[in-house]
Amino acid sequence: MAETDSPDGPPTTLIEPIDMSKLDDKFRSEISSMPSGEEIVACFACSTCTAACPIANMWEYKPHQLIRMILLGMREEVLSSQEIWLCLTCFQCQERCPQKVRVTDVFFDCKNLAAEEGKVPANIVVLGKELLDKGQLYTVTADWEREDMNLEPEVPGLDVDSVKSYLKDTRTGKLVGGGD
Amino acid sequence: MPAYNLFMGCSVPANYPNYESAMILVAKKFGIELEYMEGVACCGSPNLRAIDHMGWLTVNARTLAIADQNGNDIVTPCNGCFGSLKDVHHILKHDESAAKDVNKRLKKDGLEFKGISTPRHFIEVLYTDIGIQEIKSKITNPLDGVGIAIHYGCHLLRPVDVTEFEPEVLDELVEATGATVVEYPLWKQCCGATVLPVNEPLGIRLARDKLKSMKESGASFSIVVCPACGNQLDLQQLGLKETYKEEYNLPVLFYPQILGLALGLDEEEVGLSMNRVPADPILDHLA
Repeated sequence: MAETDSPDGPPTTLIEPIDMSKLDDKFRSEISSMPSGEEIVACFACSTCTAACPIANMWEYKPHQLIRMILLGMREEVLSSQEIWLCLTCFQCQERCPQKVRVTDVFFDCKNLAAEEGKVPANIVVLGKELLDKGQLYTVTADWEREDMNLEPEVPGLDVDSVKSYLKDTRTGKLVGGGD
Repeated sequence: MPAYNLFMGCSVPANYPNYESAMILVAKKFGIELEYMEGVACCGSPNLRAIDHMGWLTVNARTLAIADQNGNDIVTPCNGCFGSLKDVHHILKHDESAAKDVNKRLKKDGLEFKGISTPRHFIEVLYTDIGIQEIKSKITNPLDGVGIAIHYGCHLLRPVDVTEFEPEVLDELVEATGATVVEYPLWKQCCGATVLPVNEPLGIRLARDKLKSMKESGASFSIVVCPACGNQLDLQQLGLKETYKEEYNLPVLFYPQILGLALGLDEEEVGLSMNRVPADPILDHLA
């Protein structure tokens, strides 16, 4: 129809064309060399992962597309995508992949690569700061509730300092801003 | 009965002392010796794994290394902690260079990951080390005929090569109390807890879909074995009255709470008043 009527202009497409010059041909091996990435090259784009995902309907890039994008070298698009952070980490995609691609684990690797570039949603950085400042995500405040249940008001054996000190030296410290 | 290293994590002690207490009382009934681990804190959650793989590996390897000192298995009541500890245990067992790297970091505390102690969920200890027959023999107040929809929680079940946990374990544990397991279409679906920080309405919708599926399948109440899932399915019901104008009134209990009731503990001992949705249907049944 439209395509045959105007042979001179660019063809009408349903998706954005991929700009080959922007592809990073090392991205595939960067991911596949990570501990969860070995199987990714076996993906044959059957989209079972997308069918298994409870929220893929609201993703612009579906799980199988993200895997394909990794294989094609679309590093920038994958690492800047909202989708990797929306992943529920429910592992349903990974469980059902007939090619044993560790889809959820690969998205964890992508998030780490994005984090290395400082691309982390603000609310996740807040959680990192909580871990760095307090050594845990939840701190006992209502200790009377514990006493009501005949538990020690303070959690026996709790040591938050070691978590704080380790995370200061890893990426959490860098992301949160020095951790001091 | 061997002793276990009890790893509480951060959420259960802070938010669900009823779960903690019910677990400890149930453990006592079966002679399971739970010893709070010394010098541990938080697993960091999947959020830490997302932003700081090495940090997440190290804090969990540290917990595993502390347990290795006496060699007893680690027991936790939280799916998040279970998932993190199992994952890290699995990685360090299969990736020599990661284990070497992490052990270098742990050296300053005089610790070493050896992989002797295995992380386990409390319910798996009940199932494997105590056994269904033994549990059944101690039931004094059977929950005969009560329909329970089980929410297993993602990180308890998947990925199965890491978690080594089959859903039938929890099915049989629920049936041991005399209750009936109600099947429902969305049994595998996530509670939505992990996505709350980046998209709260989505997290709430997932919890709502789950509750709807349970309710429509005729469940009288639901059980969970994770504080994050408990939060989503129990506490979130209060919010759903506002956001969705829907009322589910589906009590959500932690498994040791219902097992405790079936073993003859009273509602105060298992802390039922701390559950947000009143557990009247089950109390009426037992009365």
